[in-house]
Amino acid sequence: MRESKKLEVSCLKLGLARQHREVLRGINATFKPYELTAVVGPNGAGKSSLLNCLAGVLAPTAGQIEFDGRPVQCLSATQRARFCAYLPQAETPAWRLEAADLVALGLLPWGQPADSAARVTHALKLVDGLQFARRPVTQLSGGELRRVQIARLLVGEAPLLVADEPTAALDIRHQLQLMQTFRKLADAGHTVVLALHDLSLAARFCDRILLLQDGRLLAQGAPEDVFSPALIGDVYGVRCELRRCGGVLEFVAVDLLERP
Amino acid sequence: MSRSNRWFFFLIVFALLLALIAALASGPVSINLSSALAEGWHSENSDAVILWQLRLPRALLAIMVGAALGMGGAAMQGMLRNPLAEPALLGVSSGAALAAILLLYYGVAWQSGWLLPLLAIAGAFCSVACVWMLAGRGASASRLVLAGVAINAFLSALMALALNYAPSMFAMQEIVFWLLGSLANRGWDQLLLALPFILAGAALLFAARNYLRALSLGEATAASLGFRGRRYPLLVLAGIAAAVGAAVAVAGTIGFVGLVVPHLMRPLVRQDPGRLLWASALAGALLLLIADILVINIVGAQELRIGAVTAFLGAPFFFWLIVSARRGQSL
Repeated sequence: MRESKKLEVSCLKLGLARQHREVLRGINATFKPYELTAVVGPNGAGKSSLLNCLAGVLAPTAGQIEFDGRPVQCLSATQRARFCAYLPQAETPAWRLEAADLVALGLLPWGQPADSAARVTHALKLVDGLQFARRPVTQLSGGELRRVQIARLLVGEAPLLVADEPTAALDIRHQLQLMQTFRKLADAGHTVVLALHDLSLAARFCDRILLLQDGRLLAQGAPEDVFSPALIGDVYGVRCELRRCGGVLEFVAVDLLERP
Repeated sequence: MSRSNRWFFFLIVFALLLALIAALASGPVSINLSSALAEGWHSENSDAVILWQLRLPRALLAIMVGAALGMGGAAMQGMLRNPLAEPALLGVSSGAALAAILLLYYGVAWQSGWLLPLLAIAGAFCSVACVWMLAGRGASASRLVLAGVAINAFLSALMALALNYAPSMFAMQEIVFWLLGSLANRGWDQLLLALPFILAGAALLFAARNYLRALSLGEATAASLGFRGRRYPLLVLAGIAAAVGAAVAVAGTIGFVGLVVPHLMRPLVRQDPGRLLWASALAGALLLLIADILVINIVGAQELRIGAVTAFLGAPFFFWLIVSARRGQSL
């Protein structure tokens, strides 16, 4: 995989209010190149809101986001899109686009580069999806569609990749395949931020975990530190175990905890 | 664009030229086309007058109005991500129609040739502005449609009221005929009045083509690709209001073109909402020109209205849509 451009992203006291409800409060976090970060937390914790703010879909109502120390407000919408590629939670194409044409949409912030066909082919090759380049996306399986969407993220070579629940609705083989792809992308220098519900995938593949609850950042750090039984018990109400097995960190949710 | 598609577009342009010749040759009197053409614009020879002052502006108007409706439909379907959207959905046509009806109602419409079209265009802009304000800031596609339905319902009620209290049978007939759409008795005046609006609308929609492309992946993805804020939807709405409003202003309400044409053209541009704009403009022009040739050649006690013809062409299309959906192909 080619070395990517580098981008360090910081959130400073980030806050977001929607319909008079604070969905994010005082988030301070930094996302670095070569790091694969998982944003985790129970339903409604603010994971998607945080990702939407990073991707410029929602404008924060407090605090700010900086790209390499520069506030993002200094960037035009197009410039910002060149830094950050984003895959929302449920992205369904409206038309029966061919896979390669969907991937090419990722180049829109760059206008129409002369080598766009070559770039699309390269991006599809990265996700092992060349064989269905000319198939309509409506005829792809869930896993194939997700790979095409990831190729859309990669085609423009944006340094920051943000994906919301990319492994949802995929079988375990495709989940592992996808997480390995993200791991490789981070190793090539991308700054990768994923919202994940699957804590075992987060523990296994990610360098850093951000644990959110009710819009607040409860903990951040390496999986070993964040996935402590006490903290997970508090947030999720679940008894869990974390063990290292053959170099792989395993997270297992064992049972429900009785809540007082 | 693949090679077969390119050939198809050459075919459409060629068909458009053929249809133009057929349109110029159609009419209640037969004229010598080549000599009338050679006589030129200023000739007072009756054949030349018929050709240059009656048939040519009418045929060109059909092309212009058809192109505006096709393009408007493609833009509306692209913006709402819905293959069943049509340009009239957000009140453009009914706004223009109500303004025109009020003029016809008070009988001042034909005192000057440009008053009615101009007010109809203003009506189109007003109703789109109402829809936009009603939907509110950062409205989703579904809220826009809902606001459009509300404004359309209100404008239809006003139109029904105007018909109900029409001052004379003549005024009522004029209103009904206007609502059915027609290209008859239109001249260079109307053409030149609508042309700048249609061109401006086309330019606005063309400027928004990449927004429509990005929107095929949804509003959140489009925003992350750099198309966020009110600017882009406003661009599309203003483009539709200008192009379709001007078309309705000079030709009355003509249904189905804006709905059917983008549907038919979508597979030929590989579902690209950007290229669909000009493909639909070409095909809309062809469809309306053919419909107008039918109107001219079907002679009855009453002149056939072009809105009735397009409705007859449009209804079987829906039958076909249902049949193909039942065969398991998606919309």
